[in-house]
Amino acid sequence: MSAGLTVAIPKGALFADSAAQLRAAGIDVPDDPGRRLELTAKDGTRVLLLRPTDVPAYVEFGAADCGIVGADVLWESAGSVCELADLGFGACRLVVAARRTDGYHEGAQLPTFLRVATKFERMAEAFFAERDLPVQLIKLHGSVELSPLVGLADLIVDLVATGNTLREHDLVVVDEIAASTARFIVNPVRFRAKYAAITELLAKLDPAVRA
Amino acid sequence: MRLPPGTRDWLPAELRRKRAVESVLRSVFEHWAYDEVQTPNFERFDALEAGLGETVAQKTFVFADKSGTQIALRPEMTTPVARFVSTRLRDAPLPLRLSYIVPAYRYEDPQEGRMREFTTAGLELIGTESLEADVESLATAVEALDALGLRDAHYDINHAAIVDGVLAGLELDATGIAHAKALISGRNIVALRARLAGTGDARAVDAIVRLAMTRGRDEVLEIAGRLCHTDAGLAGIERLRGVLARAAELGFGARLNVDVSLLRDIEYYTGFIFEGFADEVGFALCGGGRYDSLLPRFGFAAGAVGWSLAVERILIALERRHQ
Repeated sequence: MSAGLTVAIPKGALFADSAAQLRAAGIDVPDDPGRRLELTAKDGTRVLLLRPTDVPAYVEFGAADCGIVGADVLWESAGSVCELADLGFGACRLVVAARRTDGYHEGAQLPTFLRVATKFERMAEAFFAERDLPVQLIKLHGSVELSPLVGLADLIVDLVATGNTLREHDLVVVDEIAASTARFIVNPVRFRAKYAAITELLAKLDPAVRA
Repeated sequence: MRLPPGTRDWLPAELRRKRAVESVLRSVFEHWAYDEVQTPNFERFDALEAGLGETVAQKTFVFADKSGTQIALRPEMTTPVARFVSTRLRDAPLPLRLSYIVPAYRYEDPQEGRMREFTTAGLELIGTESLEADVESLATAVEALDALGLRDAHYDINHAAIVDGVLAGLELDATGIAHAKALISGRNIVALRARLAGTGDARAVDAIVRLAMTRGRDEVLEIAGRLCHTDAGLAGIERLRGVLARAAELGFGARLNVDVSLLRDIEYYTGFIFEGFADEVGFALCGGGRYDSLLPRFGFAAGAVGWSLAVERILIALERRHQ
């Protein structure tokens, strides 16, 4: 009965689990959608396959009724969407990390003015502001783990799932900022307009709601 | 030559459409015997501040005139009407039925349906706390949107005391209650679940979280009634039952839903609250409710209920409809 809904899901790391969740809810999303950007499931549900960071905008402006996205993406998007359920998969942590050899994780004195490289500017800014630490944030778009190794930054703020990337670059966690998992989000007005369809899909997705 | 953000010019054809909407509204207001009033577009900030509450006060354009007096451009019309009634009309026979169509100003991040200069149109029914007044207020809103051609608009209703009554069953201090209400209003269910965890019986917490995402009619009131711990909350639930019953008699009951997460962002609401929606647009078309504590702040002991809409939002909704 999710017919008539448009659901935005992320390509990339969360795609496989998102597709599996939708299939469990009776929406036949293929394992490998190839390069398709949208598809219509047999039950009539329209599925948009988006860059993860674009999912909140599609939902906020109503191009999609609802969507699946990591909490880490919501932290950095200022938009207003309703976060209806924690889907539990895609767990990762946002951490502050540094070179092991700098010893910051063992209490070594931080430089008075820190340079911090990150993709997560809002979260990093809030974290250091709360601690009254003056920092210069350096916005990067990828391979953040390289920046301390080449002297670009003293610290990085980045997502860690297994910790392998940090280990490979001899980086260690100095502090943990937040934990992230996949969330089911919905446009606040569409939730009212398509209440029955959205509630039914949500019940099939989220064990806590179904219980 | 650039306009300030959130303002616009009106071309003749655009202004004709706007005037047509205003004229439909005026005829509905007249039909219900609401007399039109005006107040100054700007007035002393200290006269309005008492009524506005923090959220709207922060969005108010305030500047000093040459004498140094703090002047505000009105951000909405209910507070100026309350000030006006409590001074100029305090000896008038009650209830008073007043209407207005005037410009208003808010320092918003401009987006569709949210401009810094807009036209607010609405009704205030002053001097009665009755169920019939709440129903009349909602019925006039339904009739106005119907007359404008938005006959499939639907309306969410709530009562301001219900959420407080439900949260009163948990171990939350004032800050915790304010935080929980913000999460309920934004329907941030994940954070709400986390915030309420451990504040009471796990089953009660779960039921409250579910209530925050449930819309319906009598069944929602039944659930809310079981979770509510205050007399004011229970009275609020009874009031909504009354509104649903009267609305059914008047023929628009099927267009109503109870939604306890509907908490409007103006702090003066004390009772019945409602908003109207159309599926095409991502914002409320109209909204209002009961504000029994506003007039007393101006030294006039009278209850009141009213609603307003932004004419520009109606134009957007009608434009979408014809696409």
